[in-house]
Amino acid sequence: MEMVVADSLVKAFPTPDGGEKRAVDGLSFRVGQGQIYGLLGPNGAGKTTTLRMLSGLMAPTSGTATLAGFDVATQPQEVKRVLGFLTANTGLYQRLSARELLIYFAQLHRMDRAQAEARAEQLIAWLGIEDFAHLRCGALSTGQKQRVNIARALVADPPILVMDEPTLGLDVLSNRVILDFIKRERHAGKTIILSTHYLDEAETMCDQIGLLHDGRLVAEGDLESLRELSGEHRLSSIFLKLIHADRPIGAAGA
Amino acid sequence: MTFPHRIRTIYVKELIDILRDRRTLIAMIVVPIVLYPLLMLGSVQAVSYQHESLEQEALRIGVADDAHRRMVTQLIHADRVALDERKATLDPESDEAKGLPTPLDDATIEVFDSLADLQRAIRERAIPVGVVFDGETLVDSIERQVKVHVNADYEEPRGTSAGRRVEGLIQRTNERLQEARLHERGLPKSFLEPYTVETVDLSAPSSVLGEVLPLILILMTITGAIYPAIDLTAGERERGTLESLMVCPVPVIDLIVGKFLVVTTVAVMGAALNLASVTATVYFGGFDKVIASTGGHVPIGKMLFILLALIPFAVLMSAIMIAVCSYARTFKEAQNYVTPVILAVLIPGGVAALPATRLEGIMLVMPVGNMVLLAKELLLGAAVPPWQVVMVLLSTTFYAGAAVAVAAGIFGKESVVFADAGSLSGSFARKMMKPSPRPSVSMSLLVTALLFPTWFFVQSALSPGLDEAAAGQLYGTAWLMPLLFVVLPVGILLYWKVDVVRTFGLRVPRLRHWAAGALVGLSAWAPAHELNVLQESVLGVPETVVRSAERLAEVVKLLPPATAILLLALLPAVCEELLFRGFLLSGLGSSMRKWAAIVAAAAVFGVFHFFVFRFAVTAGLGVILGYLCWQSRSILPAMVTHAVHNTVGLLSVIRPEWLRWIGVADDADPQAEWAHLPLPVVLVGSAVLLLGLYLASRPADPQPAAGNSLSLPGRGSE
Repeated sequence: MEMVVADSLVKAFPTPDGGEKRAVDGLSFRVGQGQIYGLLGPNGAGKTTTLRMLSGLMAPTSGTATLAGFDVATQPQEVKRVLGFLTANTGLYQRLSARELLIYFAQLHRMDRAQAEARAEQLIAWLGIEDFAHLRCGALSTGQKQRVNIARALVADPPILVMDEPTLGLDVLSNRVILDFIKRERHAGKTIILSTHYLDEAETMCDQIGLLHDGRLVAEGDLESLRELSGEHRLSSIFLKLIHADRPIGAAGA
Repeated sequence: MTFPHRIRTIYVKELIDILRDRRTLIAMIVVPIVLYPLLMLGSVQAVSYQHESLEQEALRIGVADDAHRRMVTQLIHADRVALDERKATLDPESDEAKGLPTPLDDATIEVFDSLADLQRAIRERAIPVGVVFDGETLVDSIERQVKVHVNADYEEPRGTSAGRRVEGLIQRTNERLQEARLHERGLPKSFLEPYTVETVDLSAPSSVLGEVLPLILILMTITGAIYPAIDLTAGERERGTLESLMVCPVPVIDLIVGKFLVVTTVAVMGAALNLASVTATVYFGGFDKVIASTGGHVPIGKMLFILLALIPFAVLMSAIMIAVCSYARTFKEAQNYVTPVILAVLIPGGVAALPATRLEGIMLVMPVGNMVLLAKELLLGAAVPPWQVVMVLLSTTFYAGAAVAVAAGIFGKESVVFADAGSLSGSFARKMMKPSPRPSVSMSLLVTALLFPTWFFVQSALSPGLDEAAAGQLYGTAWLMPLLFVVLPVGILLYWKVDVVRTFGLRVPRLRHWAAGALVGLSAWAPAHELNVLQESVLGVPETVVRSAERLAEVVKLLPPATAILLLALLPAVCEELLFRGFLLSGLGSSMRKWAAIVAAAAVFGVFHFFVFRFAVTAGLGVILGYLCWQSRSILPAMVTHAVHNTVGLLSVIRPEWLRWIGVADDADPQAEWAHLPLPVVLVGSAVLLLGLYLASRPADPQPAAGNSLSLPGRGSE
């Protein structure tokens, strides 16, 4: 079953000179249930804009997208109910404790107080937040914050997870906790869209990979088919070759 | 979770969040409790100290030559002797003895080269006062009068004080000489003054408080609202929490209402603390005599009343602040937006605080100004008619509602959530706008809210002083109504690429709905009249309403009947329906439930008719008109109803014969207007009205189950 369908998505922004720039330009892809789809691309490729359109935060200039069958343009509330969204630079409410924050978001997702508290405790245990659940979010380290953030995205136990750079700037330990958690959610049948800079992470995690460049999908498939397509073995080389950036500079480390 | 539940969750969270912020606490608690008393103690003491020190200061008097120096010295000496004699006769503890003026014998007298030199020195503030006599000698006979020129810079406290002291000296000398002359001739004091004047000051004891306090409190309420408004809107964006909030399945209006209630709470708490602090400072600081003009006491009961009056104001300001700050993406940007808003608020607030401004005319509906005036009038002890209080509260609620709707329209808008996604001007750039079938709630409410004081102003500006000019008001309205109610909204719709035809419901309705419109129009006057009579028997009729109705009737009789019907029935039917049932109801219907939208549009329609007295009936008609419009998905049946209803009203003035045919009393009896209609007329009228509503109850096209919010494009799916 296809949980996420993007069809010819376009997002144009006005430029100061009165023209417009297409951040995403005719993007189509599909993600089946229980799959991890990796959206890869250099900075400015349109990854974040794509994820924002999928989550209903931005209206597509043209094209459509559906999540679990709900159209993001016409059924935004239904889409928000099936979606857990983790943004790249999410902040937390500095003056609430991690526990208070999780309970608040659970309540916003229409749980009553008792349900919200139970769900918060469950996530606190799963993500190893116990030690700092009582601290105000302003006092947490980057890794701790990111764990709270993931707990927040999962608070309503949504069937679809959209994660924008979930491991950006994390230490090895937090990184491990989060990646294990993502795998676990996939095994539980969740559909996950992951955007990342870390190509080795994509190699080990993703079932399908879409390479995004200048707002267009330049290649799509599992790792094997991308290897065949490019004749390269490592994802970083595949990536550079497919976006034709392998000639001027040497291969960039992942 | 239900709607109020969700708002409560948001409210509680935001309140905890904001109260845990040290900056809020400082602004809300420390500033009023510490700063206020300090400022007040400081400034009052500084003023009284300055005043006293000026009185005690050794006086310096300038003269232009030696002869004048001798004359001044003589006057001072004689005054001193007289004062000493007087003091000796009085009990030193008595008020009169304490009130005796200080003699000027410690004054230094400085001689200048010329009058010009003396005056220059005064202008340069080198010497506070100069005395110049006409002539070289003092008064020495009863025939002579000597003019004394007291030169001083009366704009300056030192100059004023010195000038007054010299004037006092001359005054006392005059009194002494008069008394001596009367005594010499054996005449009583009444010889010179057959009448004496004694003024009796009846001003309320708290007049200084009444003039100044409302403005101070308003400033403090605004100050209290600013920080939380910025923190809860722009702060959310700046700290990166907005995106995760916007992906929650919560309607933006719930978020905004929750946040708005928190800002209002904090603003009211701040205002209450300020008020308590002022009261305590005045009371315990012993300043009640300084502040209250006639030495009265602090009116604690009134303070509580002011606090109540501040709540609607805090509601309005919080709504405006939330709307303005929602547009900002950073704290800094929000602060830049807030400054002009404060200035814009202070202008009507300041005008209202002027002593001569009264709560009447346009000031009744002037945002902010009307609240300041209401607080001032109450504090000064003026009797404010209840309908004025209602008018102020209704218009304030309307403005606040519009501001909240605007905030909800802006908050979470793409261009605001993502600073990197194009500039703010993008949200006004026409080429980036998408065509939409109907205006948004915020657009329709904002435009109507701005129209409201404009329309009120137009109506009062056109309002005739003389009967002959009354027709001028009608013709002026005939020009301006289409312009403001139709051309302006159409222009806005076209710019924002909104479908004009759908918004205004310009489609041919079913025959059934035509008939419904006509029946309701023909019959609604009877129940409306009964409602009016009922209301009159409970509330009474204000004189102004009676007079304006009489004046209108006079004018109508002077006009050719066709013109009267055109101006007073057809024109309002077309323009008001397009604005209220077209523009406003369509906008509200785009994200409100059916009845909520109809009732809200009807309430605004009622508010627009200014006379609070007519509010209930007008709003009731508004509900019926909105219902007709919603059911038929066309504006035309409501226009028919409106036109027929107004024509029936006109005919009762132009051709009163028909009223007699159906057994209604002649209008020769002035009381007839407030008499009940014959029962059969009421019954038939109500029956016809119900028949009309029954015909309208079957909707024109299939539509989503009743009660669903109509998020589908357009009112119909034609």
